[in-house]
Amino acid sequence: MANLSLQHIDKIYDNNVQAVFDFNLDVKDGEFIVLVGPSGCGKSTTLRMVAGLEDISNGKLLLDGKDITNAPAKDRDMAMVFQSYALYGHMTIYENMAFSLTLRKENPNVIHKKVLAAAEILGLTSQLNKKPAQLSGGQRQRVAMGRSIVRNPKLFLFDEPLSNLDAKLRGATRREILLLHKRLQATMMYVTHDQTEALTLADRIVCMSMGHVQQVGTPLELYDSPANLFVASFIGLPPMNFFDVRVNGGQLIGDQFSTTLSEAEAHLLARYNGKTITLGVRPENITAGGDITMKVSTNENLGMNTLVHGHLGNATDPANKITAKLRGWCNYKDGDIVPISFNKKHFFDKETTNAIKED
Amino acid sequence: MSDDRTIQRDRMRFTRNTLSANLVLLAILFDVFYFINIYKSDINHDVGNFYYQFRIGASIILNLVFMLAAFLSSEGIKNYKVQYAYLLIGLGALQIARIFILPLQALRTEVTIAGNTGTVMEMAQFVRVTIYLIISSICCFASAVIGIKRSRELNEHLASLGLTANA
Repeated sequence: MANLSLQHIDKIYDNNVQAVFDFNLDVKDGEFIVLVGPSGCGKSTTLRMVAGLEDISNGKLLLDGKDITNAPAKDRDMAMVFQSYALYGHMTIYENMAFSLTLRKENPNVIHKKVLAAAEILGLTSQLNKKPAQLSGGQRQRVAMGRSIVRNPKLFLFDEPLSNLDAKLRGATRREILLLHKRLQATMMYVTHDQTEALTLADRIVCMSMGHVQQVGTPLELYDSPANLFVASFIGLPPMNFFDVRVNGGQLIGDQFSTTLSEAEAHLLARYNGKTITLGVRPENITAGGDITMKVSTNENLGMNTLVHGHLGNATDPANKITAKLRGWCNYKDGDIVPISFNKKHFFDKETTNAIKED
Repeated sequence: MSDDRTIQRDRMRFTRNTLSANLVLLAILFDVFYFINIYKSDINHDVGNFYYQFRIGASIILNLVFMLAAFLSSEGIKNYKVQYAYLLIGLGALQIARIFILPLQALRTEVTIAGNTGTVMEMAQFVRVTIYLIISSICCFASAVIGIKRSRELNEHLASLGLTANA
């Protein structure tokens, strides 16, 4: 059992720089929470505060109802996996994995059983007599995870564990972490700046920017119903296209296009009639054919899809830049005019940048 | 065989024989104690002068060889290599033999210094260096016995798992 509760957590450094503002989150037992955001958004600081490696300036941290706000890191029963693995180079993999238990003076036979069990889970059994330098980056990261598993902690904390790995290994190790979570059913908190990791691993994602939580929700919620412009632009690859448009009855009038709203969309935007809002369209929600045109500048064939970059209409300014992810292998040339349509639209308030939702 | 005993044996696949290795390091330490005590002289006992011939060189070389061989053995025995255990038995015997080479001769030889006749080495010094050599020797023997025992256990265990010593 490990229910973690972060209540009104702030982090203010000695030089009065505030890194985290009023962070609130309840992590349920067995949940996989991913903190995602750009560099410097406060996600690692939050994780380090949970681990006890940073002091909490304000607020409360509860683990299974017990206040651990000021508890030292060693008493929190949490295990952290770092980006840099933090393995002891002079020890074998077995010794590295057994080290924390040896320090606790646990029975060597019990340690042995735990290390072998963890090595079996992680596929490291044949590597136990090797030194970390003899292993690949992915294997080393698995050892770091194994070192956490043997401790059987209440909470696993991962601080960008895949950032040191190449793209192929990152994908494989990501799947291993997912399998590990399914197998252990442990509560995990994971920090990453990679939205693909966040979307594929998380039960719930906490999207952060500038120390503030922007949205907490399932991967689908963040992808399908972003709370604001930041979340909409951060989640999704390629990122969402944004255009300033004016609501005019049942129509949206843009600089280079106009499109008719569905009944539900028109109802949603009724209170914005005559006002300018921000329209968001994901590249994958654009299809070839329709009454909107784009002028192609570059074409990236990905096999099943083609990323077509260009501008709406005849424009050349950045405000009308657009990327469409079209199905199939397309051979558009620079300057080609392609008719397109927007299948799914997201609307954001121009002033607050929040998503426009039903009242 | 009990479950605990089996696990204990299985642990040896991944852990080193640090007990044997540390005993050898202890043997080296007592050898050092012996060596820094063997030439101690005072006004009535002139051990340094007694040795001041070719034997002092041989003694230093022998000591260096012992320390080198012992250190090598400690690394070998740490990895359950049984041949180093036999080398350690030889080194243990050498430490015993060393009692009869220099200390005993120095104890039995009489010299006259400033009109006073006495043994080259006084009894207390002899007892001290002999104890150092005996402890050093015991450490070597104990390390070897433990090393042989554990090495056999490990090999039997590996054989039962269908593995070889290098696996």
